[in-house]
This record gives sequence, C-alpha cells and structure tokens, in this order.
Amino acid sequence: MAVDAVNRLRMGLWVCVLLVMFFGLAAPLQASPIGARFESTLGGGAVPEILKQYGGEHVLPISQRLWTEEVFRRLVEVAEREDVEYTLTVLNSSELNAFAVPGGYIFITRGLVNAIGRDEARLAAVLGHEIAHIEKKHGLNAVLRQMGLTVLLEVGAMALDFASADLIRLASTTLLQLITLGWGREAEYEADLIGQDLAVRAGFDSIGAVSLLDGLMNLDSEDLPMKLFRTHPDTKDRRVRLEANLASYWSEPAAVEEPHMLERLNGGRNLAPARRNDPRRRYQVMLPEEGTGLLLIDEQAGQTLIWLDGSLIKDFAWSPQGQHLAVIVDTGSHDQVWVCDRWGYVKKQVVAGTQRITYVSWSPEGQQLALHVAEPDSHGILLTHLAADVLVPVGGGLGSEYSIWLDNGLFFISKESWYHTAAPEVRPVTISNPVPQVLQRQRILSPTVVKEENTIRLTRPSLTMP
Amino acid sequence: MLGKLRAAGAALLVVVLFALAAGTAQAFIFSDPANLYSTSIADSWVYQAYHSTPEIAVFYGEGDYDLLYFETLGRVLDNSAEDLAKRSLELYSAAGGLRDFQLEMPLIQVEVADQKGLACAYTYQDERGNKLWEYRVFLLLPEGRGFSIALSSDGPWVKNRPPVLEEVLAKWQWML
Repeated sequence: MAVDAVNRLRMGLWVCVLLVMFFGLAAPLQASPIGARFESTLGGGAVPEILKQYGGEHVLPISQRLWTEEVFRRLVEVAEREDVEYTLTVLNSSELNAFAVPGGYIFITRGLVNAIGRDEARLAAVLGHEIAHIEKKHGLNAVLRQMGLTVLLEVGAMALDFASADLIRLASTTLLQLITLGWGREAEYEADLIGQDLAVRAGFDSIGAVSLLDGLMNLDSEDLPMKLFRTHPDTKDRRVRLEANLASYWSEPAAVEEPHMLERLNGGRNLAPARRNDPRRRYQVMLPEEGTGLLLIDEQAGQTLIWLDGSLIKDFAWSPQGQHLAVIVDTGSHDQVWVCDRWGYVKKQVVAGTQRITYVSWSPEGQQLALHVAEPDSHGILLTHLAADVLVPVGGGLGSEYSIWLDNGLFFISKESWYHTAAPEVRPVTISNPVPQVLQRQRILSPTVVKEENTIRLTRPSLTMP
Repeated sequence: MLGKLRAAGAALLVVVLFALAAGTAQAFIFSDPANLYSTSIADSWVYQAYHSTPEIAVFYGEGDYDLLYFETLGRVLDNSAEDLAKRSLELYSAAGGLRDFQLEMPLIQVEVADQKGLACAYTYQDERGNKLWEYRVFLLLPEGRGFSIALSSDGPWVKNRPPVLEEVLAKWQWML
C-alpha cells in the first residue's frame, strides 16, 4: 500500500474515532452523501449471490411479464431518485418474499408473484415498498451502520478510497447477511408508508398494501410451509399503520355549487329508490311490510324468495354492476352492513363499531362502500372496501344524510349543502406495447353421470374438455 | 329437346339452390361486440362466452384442441405489421415464451379485407406436453392498433389455411 493511501486511511479513521466519540453512531443516516456509484457497486456485488441463493432468475410468461413490468414502470416513473437505475428481477423461489438492495436492484420471488396473481394494487404495494427502501437508502445505511462506518463516510469520505475492492467485498458480505434480517423495524414502517404513497401517485388503489397484508396473514394462519416476508416486521402492526394512512389520500371536503348537476350526472341511480333496482333486472327486491329479511321476486325463475330471513333490514343498495347487494342490518345494539352476492350469500360483514348506519352508497366500480353513520361525535362517513376490512373516515367529520359517488370522488349532503371530497385516481394497467396472446382451450371440471337402475349418480368431477 | 334442357336447367337450379341453402346453413356471421369487424364462421365452431373477453373472441371446433380466436390488441408501438409480427415471434421463442417453439412456416404477406398483414405457422408444447400447431395473422390497423387472427389445433393441417380459416379471411369485413 502506498504511503499516501495509508496516511489517508489513518486520517479517515481518526476522523471516524473523533466523531464517534462526540456524536455516537446514530448520526442522521438519511442525509448520507454516499455516491450512487458506491451504492450501485455495493448492490451489484451482491446480485450474483442473491441469484444463487434464490434459485436464479425466473422468467415469467409473456403476458404476466409485460403486465408486471408495466406496474413496475409506473412506480419507477413517480420515484424521486434519479441517481439510481431501478431494475426488477423475479427470483425462482417458492418463498413469499421481496427485497431491495442498494443501487436500485429490486427482487421479488416467483412464489409471491403467483400469490399476488393479477391484483395490480397488491403488486404495486410490494414493489412500491421495495422502491421506497432504495429511495431512502435503507439498505445502504444499514450496511454502513453494521460496519460502523456511517459517520466516517459522512465526513471522512474524501479521505478514503472507496474503490477499494476489500471495502466493497466486506460491504457486500455485510449486505448479504442483512438481507435475511431486514433493514430494521423503523425502516420497514417508513417504506410501507412511502411505498403506499408511490403506489397512489402511480395510479394504483391505495388499498393494495392493506389487502396484501390481509392475504399474507391468512396464509400465515393456515401455517403454510413458507417463510412469509421473513425480512419484515409484525404484519398486524404494519396493517394498522397502513389503514390509518388511507384517509390522507382523500381531499378535504369542499362546498359544491350546483347540486342538481350531480343528480343529473349520475342519472339519479344512487338516489333512493333507483339504487334499490337490480341493474341486471332479474330481481325485484323489497323490504317486507312486516317481519324480517328481504323479499325478492326472481323474474327469471318466476319465484318469490326471502333472503336473510331473521335479520332486521333497514335499507339496501345494489352495486352499479349488480354484482353485490349491500344491506344495512339492525342487530339491536348497533347496525352492520352485509354484502351479499347475487345468490343471497353474505360475502362480507362490515361492523362500524357501535354506531347506527343510516345510508350506504357504492363507488362506481362497485368495490367500495360509503357508510353514513349517525353519531354526531364520530366521523359522518366511513369508507370500506370489498378487498379488505377497513373503515376510512372521510368528509372531515361533517354529518351526512346521503351521498352520490362519481368517478372523481364522493359528493355528499350535509345540513342541506353539498360537499365534494376527491378520491385518489386509480388507473387500470394497460400494457403499453402488447403482443398477441397465445390461448389454449380451457378444461372444465365436470362430473361423470352414472345411471344405476332407476337412479342417477354423479361421480367426482374430473377434467374434461368443454 | 327443349323440354329436356329445361328439366336439366331446373334440376341444376335446384342443386345450386340446395348447395347455397346448405352453404348458408353451415356458417354464421359473427360481429365483434366492439364493432371492429365481422366475419363468417363455420357452424361447427362454437363461440365460447366464458373464454372470450371484450378484446378476444374465442371459438372451439370439433376436435379436442381446435381453437379459433381474434384479438384486438389496442395501441402498439410498432411501425408496421412486420415489426409487430417479428417482436411477437421473438417473445414467443425467448425464455418465458412458448415451450419448444418452432417456426414451421416463415412470415408471408397476407391481406385481410384490404388490410395488409403477415402470417406464419409455428408449433409449441402446451402445459400437458401436447404439441400444438398455430397459424397466426398479424395486422396493424389504423391508429397503430394491433390485431391478430389465430387458428390452432394438435395437427399440422392448420398451417395449410384450412377451409374454416379461408372462410373467415374471405368473408372478413372491417367496420373501421
């Protein structure tokens, strides 16, 4: 080693020792002026070992690959760091995991991609979280912290030769060790919220992160032999924070000048009694004059039906596409909203504490519900989502009798005045340069019919060609 | 003599009418719900509502693997049908594409109701290990919209533009 280099190293170490003595190692990590080149070299050095540990790169089928890349592209577009080049690699592992290493290298396992399916909001939540780690240099700071180099690099960076292969090797080894442990609890919480912001800014549904965690918790409870997000902290705790953040994506309510225009725009569909009409025109649904349940006339089958018999129903509303029926049920002490499918099965029960619910309105895409609650000391409108059990207060605490939900947000009436609270914009994934799909005939499950004297028996379904 | 000629003419007319009637009975007109195209499809090919989407119309034939489908791709960034075809074939043959992809007939020029395009035939292996053949037409419609017509089955007959495909292509009409 040259005398100059030794002197520079000594000087840097002295700076380090002095700073450690005065300030400790808890220096502000976020402001670390570490060069992007060092960061990229550090992360890049770990990539071959990561690929080795996780079974190499997995190439997704064409349409899934284009779709995944489009979700990733939209997220990267709204990311703020311009000194890193983001890349996404799918790892050939059935483990459910995703992680980011310094330099913009994002990894997601095949197992997690398959578990997410074609739910773009969930995929955006995962990738947004990992991009957030890079944006905030969580991995880099964790490595440096582990090596005790943070403060040294803050101040004495110029005194050291970062191109040193030994230093890079040491840092890469530390990085590989840390990947399995995560970047620290606080870093994970921060990445959750920043990732959620990125996803919303990129036009994905903000519910993605919450519904993803719900999905993971369900898998966890089934005790699947998989390591679920082993690099991340307690799932329930993270979910609470993410749910609490959902309300921040809705604007403060603003007074609306032309209330009649709103009614015309929506054709009055959400206003009683039109909201009670089945959009597919099969059922006529009524509240019985006496007794419980819902009275239905099935015009296709020519039958009269009772749904939810034994439950005291206060009101109901069909979703705009007619896929679901939301029903307000009086349970005695409080109200609940039950969401039924078109066969009358309850698919979801929403409990809004001990409050009374006076009205429900559906979002245009039929995935969210606005619940109007009666208690004046609580928020007047709570939003819930079919994809996750959430209650998001909107409307700034104004009491409200009813609402109309249009594409650009929720319009509600409070004390005879109309207000508007804007919803976060959600854009579907459109593959920017698609290629034709290659289809194959689908097989369906079909039972075999066996005739035995005067009876007909259906055997176990087997795969057959339609 | 004249009477015989008349009788023969009448018989011929009956045969022609029969043939025409039979011909019309063996095909139906399919119109794209999005009003982009219409064509004639042999009756033995059945529209599959549950497999179709607003972008893809799917039909199953009599054979276990007989499949006919038309796909509207939306806007693509390719400058020509050739670019679209070459890019698609590259993806089909690359990792993550079609297993055991083999180009059986190179790209040739075709015309579908005055729209110039390219067609080719290839084979690949499905998830159950069956070797499938596919004849595919690539088209680039006005405003850069990609379009594809595909016929697939488990035999090499699809690459010779069988009657079902000839009928589809001959009766194709754009409603652009």
